Amino acid sequence: MTKKQQIDIKINGRPCTCTKGEFLLEVAKRNGFYIPTLCHHPGIAEQGCCRVCLAEVAENGRSKIVVSCVYPVERPCEAYTDSERVKEDRSVVLMLLAMRAPESTEIKALCKQYGAMDHSRFKPIDGEKCIMCGLCARACASLGAGAISTVLRGTSKKISTPYDEPSETCVGCLSCTKVCPTNAIAYTEDKDKRSIWGRGFTLISCPECGEPIGTREEMELAALRSGEEVQELCPKCRKKKMSDVLAHTYGIE
Amino acid sequence: MGSGHALKLSVVRGGGAFVCGESTALMASIEGRVGEPRAKYIRSVQRGLWNQPTVLNNVETLANIPKILLEGGEKFAETGTTGSSGTKVFALVGKVKRTGLVEVPMGTTLRHLIYDIGGGILGNRPFKAVQTGGPSGGCIPESMLDLKVDFDSLASYGAMMGSGGMIVMDDRSCMVEVARYYTNFLCEESCGKCTPCREGLRRMLEILTDICEGRGREGDIGLLERLGHAMQDASLCSLGKTAANPVLTTIQYFREEYEAHIREKRCPAGVCKNLTRFEIVPDKCVGCGMCARGCPVDAISGGKKETHVIDQARCITCGSCREACKFSAVIAAGRENISEGRQA
Repeated sequence: MTKKQQIDIKINGRPCTCTKGEFLLEVAKRNGFYIPTLCHHPGIAEQGCCRVCLAEVAENGRSKIVVSCVYPVERPCEAYTDSERVKEDRSVVLMLLAMRAPESTEIKALCKQYGAMDHSRFKPIDGEKCIMCGLCARACASLGAGAISTVLRGTSKKISTPYDEPSETCVGCLSCTKVCPTNAIAYTEDKDKRSIWGRGFTLISCPECGEPIGTREEMELAALRSGEEVQELCPKCRKKKMSDVLAHTYGIE
Repeated sequence: MGSGHALKLSVVRGGGAFVCGESTALMASIEGRVGEPRAKYIRSVQRGLWNQPTVLNNVETLANIPKILLEGGEKFAETGTTGSSGTKVFALVGKVKRTGLVEVPMGTTLRHLIYDIGGGILGNRPFKAVQTGGPSGGCIPESMLDLKVDFDSLASYGAMMGSGGMIVMDDRSCMVEVARYYTNFLCEESCGKCTPCREGLRRMLEILTDICEGRGREGDIGLLERLGHAMQDASLCSLGKTAANPVLTTIQYFREEYEAHIREKRCPAGVCKNLTRFEIVPDKCVGCGMCARGCPVDAISGGKKETHVIDQARCITCGSCREACKFSAVIAAGRENISEGRQA
């Protein structure tokens, strides 16, 4: 295997080293430059749709705005995470997001920290928290449930189940809520009941300690995907049981 | 065909969305996925359809290949300009006498296209603008009619070759309304994946609708420009990067029209209903009655060979009378003189 080529770049004037093809966002992070992001998730590739992680890249005397999470560094260049052009474009994008999802505290915090363009001319979308990054739908698809998807296009685009009806394939695993950068997906949980995307689930409890461990549907899907038996115990009790077996095997009291 | 070669050709019917003309959205659509473009750092020739290296070209581009193979590249490059060789097919439509598909050498001037090939403006009215490149193209004014059309020259004026669409507009087109119309189209046809395109278009449309309906404010032009520039910089695909073209070019070349809408609450072209009032000029009216016959709400009265009058209280500013009048006696005026009755 050939060793990956090293490239010398400058970020905000400071020399940094990176591997050819590494994304600018990662290089910046590794070198201590923080770039704000919303839709970036280490487990989901090629996202790049919130457009908050903008940077300016200059090479061969020309400069352009790039989206750092999907910009692989291929040649020596100078990158700027806070140039005037980055600030201007980011302030517009943040204002657009703030008007799109006025209920999101995460967006409000970003606007405050990085500065957003004046929004007084526009009418915010009442009660909205979702920024339409689609991470939830991609997480759901990659886990094999595929219960939710983006629906329609353009400004009418939304995330929903087929025909907005309770999904037959949802397993109630809450993965969509966990990847959501703005906590926009509503669900309720009460003792042994969970409800999400219009569907109710019964939570199964660990027979040893009684802690709820998840829905029957999600455990069956996990077993199917991993090829293992459906786990009955919670992770804690499973660990304890295994350590008991080991202790007994080796005669440790 | 006796060539000894055989190949299987599959024709896939498109998903029907405007954005599916974007190369990566097109591939996603063929694969049966949602027609959304992907991040641009992966080249289609490296990883395209079904993750295989893919040659992706317009049908028009492919149609040029036999000529190049048969006659050679140099012969092909004899036609056209240095940067854009060969010919280009345009869909010449709008207010021209002869509409249709025309193939011309690259570098043909807009004037030749519109006046010689298109036969000039319908009804010999004054030319106002030509919109090139489809919905996200730009509007080019009369002062640039001698522009030689090729890829580079159009781009340098904020327009584009795009789909080869060429929509000719006369003096009765409102450039603000034109920008609003295309922005509305793009709002519906954007894939909605990235923030600048989806939300930027939504906010541009909000402002443009306000301007066209008489609620424009000081500062709106500057806001549109800021939104437009951020969309050009930060959008994911070419749809978003070019989506602000109709707005930015109409501001660049027809700024006074925006100002008339915002400051004087007047639509100079007489298109925006809230900002228009039609009047009949007595000196020009011959009393033929054509306007009254064309009026859908019977708002025009007047005897034979007498000057006709529009009842502003009933008029719905549809403009049928102006279209019907052969003597240019019906003119569009601003809203400031509109009688109280019309508002009720």
